[in-house]
Amino acid sequence: MNDNNTFIEIEYCQNVKNGEEACGDDYKTVELEDEERLITVLSDGLGSGIKASLLAHMTTSMAMNFVSKNMEIVKSSEIIMDSLPVCDERKISYATFTVVDVIHQNRVRIIEMDNPHFIHIRNGRDIAHENTVLASSNWPDRKLVVTDLRVKPEDRIVFFTDGVSQAGLGHRPYKFGWRREGCLEFIQECLHNHPEMSSRDLSRAIVSRARSINPGNRCIDDITCGVIYFRKPRRLRLLTGPPFKEMHDHDFAAKLVDFTGKTIICGGTTAQIISRELGREIKTNLFMKNKGLPPTSDIEGVDLVTEGILTLTEAARCLENDVPATEMAPAIRTMLNLLIESDIIEFIVGTKVNEAHQDPSLPVDLEIRRNIIKKLVHFLEKKYRKKTTIEYI
Amino acid sequence: MSKVHVKICVGTTCFVMGASELQDLEKFLPDDLKDKVEISGAACLGLCRDENYGEAPFVTVDGEPLSNATVNAIVDKIREKL
Repeated sequence: MNDNNTFIEIEYCQNVKNGEEACGDDYKTVELEDEERLITVLSDGLGSGIKASLLAHMTTSMAMNFVSKNMEIVKSSEIIMDSLPVCDERKISYATFTVVDVIHQNRVRIIEMDNPHFIHIRNGRDIAHENTVLASSNWPDRKLVVTDLRVKPEDRIVFFTDGVSQAGLGHRPYKFGWRREGCLEFIQECLHNHPEMSSRDLSRAIVSRARSINPGNRCIDDITCGVIYFRKPRRLRLLTGPPFKEMHDHDFAAKLVDFTGKTIICGGTTAQIISRELGREIKTNLFMKNKGLPPTSDIEGVDLVTEGILTLTEAARCLENDVPATEMAPAIRTMLNLLIESDIIEFIVGTKVNEAHQDPSLPVDLEIRRNIIKKLVHFLEKKYRKKTTIEYI
Repeated sequence: MSKVHVKICVGTTCFVMGASELQDLEKFLPDDLKDKVEISGAACLGLCRDENYGEAPFVTVDGEPLSNATVNAIVDKIREKL
């Protein structure tokens, strides 16, 4: 992706049915970089719990393999349906799926079997598309709906399992469930109020609303929603560490000026250098409770100013272990939010080593800055598909 | 009367060497000092890189650096300044 291209943000939100350990919905996303393709699959297995989970996982795995290898779709779905184990109670084997195959950033093929029909939103409107309905002679009841469409920057594609569309089913005022229409209205309202809402936030909002429609705010079914947002890349620049040579301090600080994206500074000395070079005061939030991490500071025009090594190490740990936001220190929560909401992340890393950090009498081991940044970059690229660059100074 | 200004460094070295406990300095001040002191934080005072200043954690009391800072040492220094 270069600066002029579109970033494709794919995020899911999932809530498990109350009382179940395993989710009966499953999703997978794969990027085929050589073919400039991005494929995501969502499946809802029959029933709930382990059995449903197994059906859904088998379906997403098979569908992903078949679609990525361009196998004929009717044949592929026959293989999936023939392979799924038969449920002892219901005597049938069944799992729905939605496959979204994004090619060259703007061509999209969506293959659906029995999931609620996807929503394509452009400028607040639900775009209708012609589609082709296919069926296998062995499974005439299982209709495949194939839609080919083109997307433009700022379009979104939203798809979900029936935990969303059937939310509130049988209870007033949603006697027939929230349905696709109800969800659509909600999406339109969200995007009207927050036109730049990320996929992460929108999928969470939809799942949370679906859940709230159910009596007692309970998950009476597994609820999963995926959102794809074709957006202009959002940039973030993170500066950490003093430059190796002091003569570069000014150029280093200048990286924050004339930059239009979000900015983060990690490091007390780094903040000091920037404050001095740009003539902006640092205010440290001394009394902030930050779960054992040093407090943040404020510098005008910078979105977040934190301490360096301890904070970055903890951020990498939280990314690696998918620590829930509620368990994170406030500074980490803010930092990871800024990072995850961005698409292109530039790390500007000063390489001067603080000798005091190498003192063996320190009560904790402090990692070398460059290693932590490499770790962070790894997780941001692998788990969140961020584009990253590292510049050492 | 102007207040004595205590600045607590919360840079990495100072923080791990004990500044995390100094964040609560205000709570531990004797009653007679409570309204005579103004406490603030510093992202880094830059003192840990200079051996001449001794060891972290560092604070400054009215601009004067204090190394190996503890609540008691800070209180003593504040009294000196008053």
